[in-house]
Amino acid sequence: MTTNTNTTETKTHAVNLKSLGREQRSNVLKNETTCISTDNLNLFYAEKQALQNVNLSIPEKKVSAFIGPSGCGKSTLLRCFNRMNDLVDGCRIEGKINIDGSNIYEKNVDVSELRRRVGMVFQKPNPFPKTIYENVAYGLRLQGVKSRRVLDEVVEKSLRGAALWDEVKDRLHESALGMSGGQQQRLVIARAIAIEPEVLLLDEPASALDPISTLKIEELISELKDRYTIVIVTHNMQQAARVSDYTAFMYMGEMIEFDNTDKIFTNPSKKQTEDYITGRYG
Amino acid sequence: MSESSTQTPAASSSEASALAQALTSKMNRARAIKNKITSVSMAVGGISVIIAIVLIFFYLAYVVFPLFLAPEMERTTQYPTPAVTEGKTLHLAIEEQNSIAVRFTDQAKAIFFNVNNGQVEESVDVDLPQNSNITSFTTSRLAKGFIAFGLSDGKMVFAQHKYRTTYFDDIKKVVPSLAFPLGETPLVLDPNEHALTHVGLMHDEEKATFVAYTDDNRLLLNQLIFDDELTGDAEDVTYESTQIEIPNIQYVNYLLIDNSQSLLYVAHNNNEVSLIDISDLDDVQVLERKRVVADDAAISEFTFLTGEISLLVGDNKGRISQWFPVQKETGLTLSRIRDFDSQHTTITDIVTEQRRKGFAAIDDKGQLAFYHSTAHRTLLHDVVSNAPLNILAVSPRANTFITEDNQQQMQLWHIENEHPEMSWGVLWDQIWYESYPEPSYTWQSSSASNDFEPKFSLMPLAFGTLKAAFYAMLFAMPLAIMGAIYTAYFMSAKMRGYVKPTIEIMEALPTVILGFLAGLWLAPVIESHLPGFFSMLLILPAGVLLFAFLWQKLPEHVRHKIPDGWQAALLIPVLLITGWIAMSLSLPMEHFFFGGDMKIWLSENLGMDYDQRNSLVVGIAMGVAVIPTIFSITEDAIFSVPKNLTFGSLALGATPWQTLIYVVILTASPGIFSAVMIGMGRAVGETMIVLMATGNTPVMDFSIFQGMRTLAANVAVEMPESEVDSTHYRILFLAALVLFVFTFVFNTLAEIIRHRLRKKYSSL
Repeated sequence: MTTNTNTTETKTHAVNLKSLGREQRSNVLKNETTCISTDNLNLFYAEKQALQNVNLSIPEKKVSAFIGPSGCGKSTLLRCFNRMNDLVDGCRIEGKINIDGSNIYEKNVDVSELRRRVGMVFQKPNPFPKTIYENVAYGLRLQGVKSRRVLDEVVEKSLRGAALWDEVKDRLHESALGMSGGQQQRLVIARAIAIEPEVLLLDEPASALDPISTLKIEELISELKDRYTIVIVTHNMQQAARVSDYTAFMYMGEMIEFDNTDKIFTNPSKKQTEDYITGRYG
Repeated sequence: MSESSTQTPAASSSEASALAQALTSKMNRARAIKNKITSVSMAVGGISVIIAIVLIFFYLAYVVFPLFLAPEMERTTQYPTPAVTEGKTLHLAIEEQNSIAVRFTDQAKAIFFNVNNGQVEESVDVDLPQNSNITSFTTSRLAKGFIAFGLSDGKMVFAQHKYRTTYFDDIKKVVPSLAFPLGETPLVLDPNEHALTHVGLMHDEEKATFVAYTDDNRLLLNQLIFDDELTGDAEDVTYESTQIEIPNIQYVNYLLIDNSQSLLYVAHNNNEVSLIDISDLDDVQVLERKRVVADDAAISEFTFLTGEISLLVGDNKGRISQWFPVQKETGLTLSRIRDFDSQHTTITDIVTEQRRKGFAAIDDKGQLAFYHSTAHRTLLHDVVSNAPLNILAVSPRANTFITEDNQQQMQLWHIENEHPEMSWGVLWDQIWYESYPEPSYTWQSSSASNDFEPKFSLMPLAFGTLKAAFYAMLFAMPLAIMGAIYTAYFMSAKMRGYVKPTIEIMEALPTVILGFLAGLWLAPVIESHLPGFFSMLLILPAGVLLFAFLWQKLPEHVRHKIPDGWQAALLIPVLLITGWIAMSLSLPMEHFFFGGDMKIWLSENLGMDYDQRNSLVVGIAMGVAVIPTIFSITEDAIFSVPKNLTFGSLALGATPWQTLIYVVILTASPGIFSAVMIGMGRAVGETMIVLMATGNTPVMDFSIFQGMRTLAANVAVEMPESEVDSTHYRILFLAALVLFVFTFVFNTLAEIIRHRLRKKYSSL
């Protein structure tokens, strides 16, 4: 969907990829297996159109980042993938979203089952007022898992997966509300991966955290991408450049460009993208 | 109250002009003053509230406090027995005004003397038939002043000492007199003219009964039934006399007849009492013969407690026991109710207070003790004389008493004994009241008669309070909490905008109207549609479920006409129709299942009696009163559960229902708990509804078809009719204090628990 219209201007990038200490990625979107794809997706809040004709294929087991100025619809698009927008009054959707080839907006789709497959982490850490253990075990308990052994195993595995185990293994049965913000956010990620979703949607997961916690979250994302298809919405372009394999730039509800992250940040196809990453607006 | 901050901001930069500085400091000062005023006025307001509550508490405690004061007595004066040469004292009495006392002697004299100095005011000779002398003496109904002399010729003189207050030159004077209700002619009790060694009597407006034991060991009974009801001093009374002899009773010590003149108590053999049924003189039966003192003791005093129902038996070991007949399966049985064991030596006289169930006893070691039967208390116990005491008289108001010892010395005492009826047991334990078959918790504070035994158990009231609150909460809690959950969590914002204020405004409904409607409209409706009401419990939910099922089956375009979150509105007609169906099915159901009358069916099959104003009515009416409170606070608590928690749960694949149960209610639990507690507090303290819709019966029955009386309603009902500063009055204040402490402790506990919960489950 990206059209190559090379610009010949000298580019002054806001993000210097090399300085991020990251290897050059030369993945090509076309060669990836598609996990989520949208087909002429339009979304309306009452009369206001929030997404316009979005067409997109998100590759499997890679990190895809959505960037764009505030209000461009990136979070809205993210929430379409697990139908969280259903909870918004007056929200209406046209078009299709396929995950693993089936349209999630079909009538007979079990929304709870969909959300189990497509996990989500929100901007603000939102642990439940329960113990750390119970937070992680929550998703499994919902599915009726009662075996203590299974739960113990999954809780440990998930906390390890979220790089939190060593910090909390001695206080699993204390309230999750006593943790720091960064720990809480990693707990929420542990909670999300405990039910082994296929896709993990991260909605500005680090924006409420301090730089060190942010770094930990980013490291975590790189570790998780081998197992999950990750879609992250971020305001922070450095973050997008650091963690993602592919980056989408959205503007005013439209998908402007989606491509290899290196390409987006070094040689975007669209003028709007370039303007944004060079800091001309946003 | 928040801390006020009056700090001035950091010094302004050096370049700022003096003017700007002046302005800033002026503004700061104004702000500081405003801050100060606000914080002071808030402090004043808050502290005044606390002071007001503390003052209420102290006022209640101040009124209640005298209940717990120990009685005190003090000797006023002493003097030798007046007219000591006129014979030995048989009986001593004081009149109402505490100015005149009377001494009846074994020489047939009534010597009226001044209480305060022992000077003889008047000495009256009782005319005896020739060649006869006094061989026995008895009194009856101290308050009426009945006395009788038994004579050596088988006759009896029946008299009454009376007092009249007059004013001579504006000086109050009490004039004593001796009257003869049945005429001055002595009654012939023994036609054989043997000496009467023991006599006993009871007398009222319809009849009089006299018993006597002769020196040749016969027990004789004479009953007079008056032709006309006695009114005043009729000198020419006419009556029908029946005379019988009761066989097989010997060695008699004391004779007493109860207030209904149907039971005769004979103390004999120094240790036994025979209970004799004399209600039918043609068929006099000895109901029971029972030993009433310990094996090594002997009866030394035998008298009635005021009311002539309970017997007091004093023995030579200093023990006093209270007895009264109790109806058992085998018939009337004389039962030992309680013992008083303070004096440890021979009881010589027991005198009962005339208006209370208290009594005083003296013994042969000069000790005196005041007791109260119902409260089972020894109020006072002291040695008042070096010589053995013989005779005691307690004034009608029970504030003065006179003792006479065997040295013919009289002592006049004053006693401060306002609330002998009060004890912990009276309020909270089971008490065996007179004529009751067994100990019980009873509240029955007053009656027209002085002989009445007040029953001050707070248990039925506390029980009624909790029962009313329980049934109200049973009705209100599910409705209010579930309604709140639906409103906050499922309902559309617009509908919520109508529903919430509507329910909250119900709180402003005056409870007197609710009580009025409940008592006068709801109670009769429920009574006549009882099966309908109970079937509603089944039919309403069934109707709702059926409707929900049908609704799902409707084609989609019909369902989509109702916006999301408005579906609940459709239930209004459904509820009305199913309610109507239940009510109209009531009569057929009553006919079909309950043989035409459910109340009779309940009483016959389940043993449940039906009161028209019962817990069901109160539960509904008070439930309606507390629903807005619980609803409003619960709704707020649930609505304020952060959306990101709900979303977090939903995003993990939880259904809305799972999210509600595992996250929303958990997080809102401190608020819900607090709502329930505040609703409970409201139900406990509620007065008007229970007053009007319960019938105010202080029963301890948990049945939903029985009424109750609550602490609050009791205070409202009885306070206007209670005598100021009486025990009853102070106990009502005590009930108020109990209610106050109850709600205080309850709310404090609730608040502590709520804080704990909030710490544990508070969200981000």
